[in-house]
Amino acid sequence: MSHVITTEGLTKAYGSRTVVDSLDLRVPEGCVYGFLGPNGSGKSTTMKMLLSLVRPSRGEVSVLGRPMNHRTRHELAALIGSLIEAPPGYGHLTGRENMAIVRRMLGLTERQVERAVATVRLRDHMDKPVRAYSLGMKQRLGIAMALAREPRLLILDEPTNGLDPAGIEEIRDLLKSLADEGVTVMVSSHLLDEVDRMASVLGILGRGRLIFQGTRGELFDRSTPDLVLETPEPERVLDLGLSAVRTHEGLRLSGLGEDETADLVRRLVHHDVPVHGLYRVRRSLEEVFMDLTGREGLS
Amino acid sequence: MRMAVGLEVHKTRRLRVWVLCLVMVVAVVALSGMNLFSESAREGFADPAAQPWEALLLGQVMIAAMTSPVLVAVLAGRQVDIEHQGQGWFMARVAGLGPGLLCRAKAVVLGVALTFTAVAQCVLLIAAGMVAGIEVTLPITLWARYGLCLLLVDLALLGLHLWLAARVDNQLVGLGVGLLGAFYAVYALLMPTWVAYVLPWGYYAAISPVAVEGDRFVESAPVPWAFALFLCASAALFLGACRRLDRAEGGPA
Ligand SMILES: Nc1ncnc2c1ncn2[C@@H]1O[C@H](COP(=O)(O)OP(=O)(O)OP(=O)(O)O)[C@@H](O)[C@H]1O
Ligand SMILES: [Mg+2]
Repeated sequence: MSHVITTEGLTKAYGSRTVVDSLDLRVPEGCVYGFLGPNGSGKSTTMKMLLSLVRPSRGEVSVLGRPMNHRTRHELAALIGSLIEAPPGYGHLTGRENMAIVRRMLGLTERQVERAVATVRLRDHMDKPVRAYSLGMKQRLGIAMALAREPRLLILDEPTNGLDPAGIEEIRDLLKSLADEGVTVMVSSHLLDEVDRMASVLGILGRGRLIFQGTRGELFDRSTPDLVLETPEPERVLDLGLSAVRTHEGLRLSGLGEDETADLVRRLVHHDVPVHGLYRVRRSLEEVFMDLTGREGLS
Repeated sequence: MRMAVGLEVHKTRRLRVWVLCLVMVVAVVALSGMNLFSESAREGFADPAAQPWEALLLGQVMIAAMTSPVLVAVLAGRQVDIEHQGQGWFMARVAGLGPGLLCRAKAVVLGVALTFTAVAQCVLLIAAGMVAGIEVTLPITLWARYGLCLLLVDLALLGLHLWLAARVDNQLVGLGVGLLGAFYAVYALLMPTWVAYVLPWGYYAAISPVAVEGDRFVESAPVPWAFALFLCASAALFLGACRRLDRAEGGPA
């Protein structure tokens, strides 16, 4: 599998603060890559470096097999559609006039613009000033601007930010269908839930570091689900020196792997503790994500 | 650059650049031409010693000094603010157009608008004088020189304001600077000559083609080398600042 984006030790420091720390990203071709991290973890900064809008303090970026820097960015820009931070668009102009500016700026044809507008289903609103757009419409106009050049790679920074569930669903379907057509989509979010169902590969950022990169399944395997032990005599289990939390079913034990679980069962039998049930609780991906990035959120 | 200028023209749609310029022209012509219709002024229309044209010209200098700094600040602010509001810097950067190039293109488009404004001011005011019935010969070269100097000062300050508007995204700052500049320009007209050369806005006074000496008007002109230095320095600073904006990362602010 070839990679559309690779970075080696990508780092950005503002003064003495390192906001992006030694990232080795690998974005496979033709997938939706979910780039996750809490607020301030460095997602936007990373994406700006990928587009060479921000100069890395250290490290290399290579996009579509070529090094990305301020010398090559102009040629590569033709192949990359992007949406960084807030959606672009001149408020005093209509959607159509905005698209005309993009068309001139990038030397596109009318057809390309029309297709992009149709794809994001904004056709009926093209004659309204962008100022009067809803946030969802602005996001879609931004995506249309990114799509118009028929890019091989889309880099979208929180494209679902501020959208209602139906809008998120729509963008999700759109991005998935683009990926099916072979476009590589890198999409960031601070909510796992938003990218969970469209991304086939996830990269998770915490305080500027890449804490995880891989498929959804691999992310699940990363964490050991809690064990619930149903017993009418939880005190006796606690007397065995196990660290557990009392719940209404009995006890909840975390961090026990397969061997430790087998050992636990042996000890319970040995001490003749009545066990009504023992099972693992599947955690939601959101919880796994929260565990990885830390519940305190902001760094 | 040509493409960037074309884009700017498209962006000026609905920004009411022309309306603003027109309002300024009307304001200048109306305010400086007010005296034309007073009885005392009319008496001197046929008398060269009363210098009716010079009086009218000095009126324009005064009103233009008051209004031009504000017009320049407002035009620059509006044309740049749309980039801040609409994420235009990033959009252009990704397409290979740096913020400095955008600023230069804006300078071209607004420069054209200011040219029309300066020319229209002079032409309409002269026309108003003729309609009112001034019979003395028109000091046409004096007036043309003033019009040209006014335009040059406008352009110099346009560069400054474009840069300021790009660097400081709160456009009230630029407007405030423009207002203070207007005060200063008028103040410089009333103060000793050297005051006009201290701040850029003073040049609105320095370029005055007429001065009052005793009870009559005499011809006046800016100190040529100082004026030339001011214009060259403004152009060099603006172009240098644009290059820096192009080289820096991200947006200009
Ligand atoms: N130009 C800058 N100068 C100094 N610090 C900056 C600059 N840009 C970003 N930062 C800092 O870098 C950190 C990461 O910012 P970034 O915008 O990349 O986060 P993010 O993951 O996109 O967050 P969010 O989810 O809120 O968009 C923040 O702490 C921010 O304050
Ligand atoms: Mg961000």
